[in-house]
Amino acid sequence: MTKPAMQLTDLNKTIGKKQIIKDLSFSIYPGEVFGFLGPNGAGKTTTIRMMVGLMKITSGEVLIQGKSIRTNFKEAIKEVGAIVENPEMYPFMSGWKNLVHYARMIPGISEDRIKEVIRLVGLEKVIKEKVGRYSLGMRQRLGIAQALLHNPSILILDEPTNGLDPSGIKEIRHYIRKLAEEENVAVIVSSHLLAEMELMCDRIGIIKNGELISINEVDEESDQQEMQEVHLVAEPLENAKEIIESEQDIEVRVDKDMLIFSVNRAQIPAIIKRLATEEVDIFYVQAHRTNLEDKFMALIGENAIE
Amino acid sequence: MSNFIRLIQNENMKLYSKKATWVMIGILAIIVLAVGLILRFMDDNNLKEYGDDWREELQVENASVQNDNGDYTEASYRVNIEKNKYHLENDIKPQSYGAMQFVYDNIGLAMLISLFTIIVAAGILANEFQWGTIKLLLIRPVTRLKILASKYVAVLIYALTLLVFLVVFSWIVGALLFGINGLNPSAVMYDINGYKQVSLLPEIIEGFGYRMVNLVMMATFAFMISAVFRNTSMAIGIAIFLMLAGNTIIPFVSQYSWAKYILFANTDLSQYQSGGHPLLDGMSLSFSISVLLVYYVIFIVASWLSFTKRDIAGQ
Repeated sequence: MTKPAMQLTDLNKTIGKKQIIKDLSFSIYPGEVFGFLGPNGAGKTTTIRMMVGLMKITSGEVLIQGKSIRTNFKEAIKEVGAIVENPEMYPFMSGWKNLVHYARMIPGISEDRIKEVIRLVGLEKVIKEKVGRYSLGMRQRLGIAQALLHNPSILILDEPTNGLDPSGIKEIRHYIRKLAEEENVAVIVSSHLLAEMELMCDRIGIIKNGELISINEVDEESDQQEMQEVHLVAEPLENAKEIIESEQDIEVRVDKDMLIFSVNRAQIPAIIKRLATEEVDIFYVQAHRTNLEDKFMALIGENAIE
Repeated sequence: MSNFIRLIQNENMKLYSKKATWVMIGILAIIVLAVGLILRFMDDNNLKEYGDDWREELQVENASVQNDNGDYTEASYRVNIEKNKYHLENDIKPQSYGAMQFVYDNIGLAMLISLFTIIVAAGILANEFQWGTIKLLLIRPVTRLKILASKYVAVLIYALTLLVFLVVFSWIVGALLFGINGLNPSAVMYDINGYKQVSLLPEIIEGFGYRMVNLVMMATFAFMISAVFRNTSMAIGIAIFLMLAGNTIIPFVSQYSWAKYILFANTDLSQYQSGGHPLLDGMSLSFSISVLLVYYVIFIVASWLSFTKRDIAGQ
């Protein structure tokens, strides 16, 4: 088994009498994208702040490449590039000066490396402009650029797609995957949006009220026996409903013009094929990974913030 | 060490990228220029040149103050009889006004430098919190102590820069408007023991030196407030209020024995100049220096503790 890039053991944070983080333990491995999912106020940002040493750890340990963030801060933090909450930069300076500023704080970053990072995030055209004039998306990219300056082996991104347009989100997602797969970087991404996480993460840890509820693998080759909820829009609807009900002994709900039913993943292709041969026009099919979504919805549905 | 210099470079880059910093330097330049022009074109009294027969000229001046009836004439408000007498008695020819005299007259503008330094000191830390950039600043392989120290040093460098600018710019403006009258001319000045002849250069250095004590104390105070409360406006407000009000409260509390331990009773070390009387009983130069040192250490330690030990929490 590979050595974890980052390891959290029994992490606790108490502010006053309130316990904000309770016995959090998990590991992140090189080359994976780990999603840190939870409703707002669940303790994601507090955990990230402890990971990078902005907040003191009440008890427990954070090891970064085997080095403690508490006792060996300088060596541990060298491995980390991060954006904590919003990518806040100095608005009165150009993007270039902002990067030079952070580059000066770590030995051995050449001007060429700064240019390389700018090219990587696609900010060449505006890098001499003041950050105050940047859009949120541009600032997000600049934030990623500063996090990558020193070639960190761990990248921590707090809500990285916040404020980005769909094409920007897609680009960032693509870029995060590339970093993990090609550079073997361990990426930790936090978000409160499940759909977004599923698209870019290998594993997703769900946190609620400071406790880790579960860690799930996001696997394209999901378990063939896994029950999935299928949403289907077809014409004529009644025919489709009968065909599906006859194919499997399953219950089909009708929601407006949509059919909703749960089947094993393995059965989905057969049903579609059958519908097609029976001259039913299919407009839309979506299979939901009920496992993860149910868990998350159960969380969000309740009073998540206590 | 090179690491530390790069941190100071960073602080300077941030400082000089802000318009406010240049506005402060601009204000200083405009005031020096304005004072120079007013002196040059509106007040010809100071600039009076005396010829070879300066003794007679001074006597005529003194005589003109009182007319035959013994009443004071309108000339009295601009003729300094005592000073003229000193010149005559000691046979010292009055010097003409020049660049160095102008620099000396601008020592009072050090007050403005204190004000600007306080504004910078109050913002340099608290701004990072208000901009949210503190989070990105503190996740680098640099200890918080070093970052704090680099900011403090940057404040002192800024104060020094303003000071050098004030002196050099005053000298240039003085040279252009009044001419150069030697690099260390002498002048006749009044102190507690009466008039005496002094060299200007040591007087200038001494004058700025005394004011630097006050500047450093107030800037360090603003820096501490900035570190403890993480709020720029609050640090500027408190520090400037205390700088302006500090001296005026001393007379009101002077009957108490603890009054001499107040910071503002001790910041003006010129009170111990030869023959001067200290502000309050029981004060001496070494007493004041000790009090200042204790305050200074408290300010620095408070800044250090609150910056390095506390969590960086969300806004």
